[in-house]
Amino acid sequence: MSTGAITGGCQCGAIRYRVEGGLTNAHICHCRMCQKAAGNYFMPLAKAPNGRLQVTRGEIAYFHSSDLVRRGFCRDCGTPLIFETLGGTGPNVTLGSLDDPLAVKPGFQGDPDAKIGWLDDLLGLPADENSTAWFEKVALSNHQHPDHDTETWPQEQRS
Amino acid sequence: MSAVPLTGGCQCGAVRYSIADAGEEAFLCHCRMCQKAMGNLFSAMIMVPTDSITWTRGQPATFRSSGSGQRGFCAACGTPLCYIGDYGHRVITIGSLDHPERHKPKTQDGLQGRMPWFVELTSIPEEGETGGGPDAEWVVAIRRSNRQHPDHDTEIWPPEEKS
Repeated sequence: MSTGAITGGCQCGAIRYRVEGGLTNAHICHCRMCQKAAGNYFMPLAKAPNGRLQVTRGEIAYFHSSDLVRRGFCRDCGTPLIFETLGGTGPNVTLGSLDDPLAVKPGFQGDPDAKIGWLDDLLGLPADENSTAWFEKVALSNHQHPDHDTETWPQEQRS
Repeated sequence: MSAVPLTGGCQCGAVRYSIADAGEEAFLCHCRMCQKAMGNLFSAMIMVPTDSITWTRGQPATFRSSGSGQRGFCAACGTPLCYIGDYGHRVITIGSLDHPERHKPKTQDGLQGRMPWFVELTSIPEEGETGGGPDAEWVVAIRRSNRQHPDHDTEIWPPEEKS
């Protein structure tokens, strides 16, 4: 991140990207198409104006979810990466695929009419105190690409 | 929940599933692995019994994200679908269910990865549809050429070649 560029990629590391000059339009979209494509309640997105996004490793796979939009993902691990209006002003990247998702805070909510009715209630859910041991165990054999660019990947053969 | 099976699948419809006996153990996970796997700020999941998932169309592709399990997704459209643990636990992404609104999470974990502004997310300003251009035209045009599988099982999919 020393150059000020924003980097990101998929979970397995087969796809890596870089955005020069910053992202715009950070938001979460509640529409049912984003929900299902994300397997979640909303898709968090921010736009890389045309010319700013460079794929630095691998090739993004696309599904044309309508005639107007294509959605990019990693064919090796499935991570949703891109929402792009064809012929538009630039692709949106998914904010969870950024190496530093903390750096880009969504500023508005798209398609609020489709918002899950009790979504507001989730913000105050009790914490699961029993999950610490599980996360420690997973960390011992984590196959996720680190949150920064790498010269070569994967570094070793996985069992 | 009733005994009615839960159904769901990916966006494009190449993978569909049915769950015979889902419990009500729905939760959020904020861990960095769920975030990056989903390209999202957290995952929303529901725990289901080990042998309760029937893949009724296609099969998920998998990535072994750690030595503890695999994450399943659609190889044709990328939708994150499930986590298949080596120790028997099975978890389905709530957003891939045909009716995600019926399964409200009760707990959240992976708090070490939670965005500090998570609790503000539903109070940020509300605007229109994702994309650009006049919203009304945009919505109509998307609807006219929507290739997302409907939120119920289908006999044949895709129904026809769409222009």
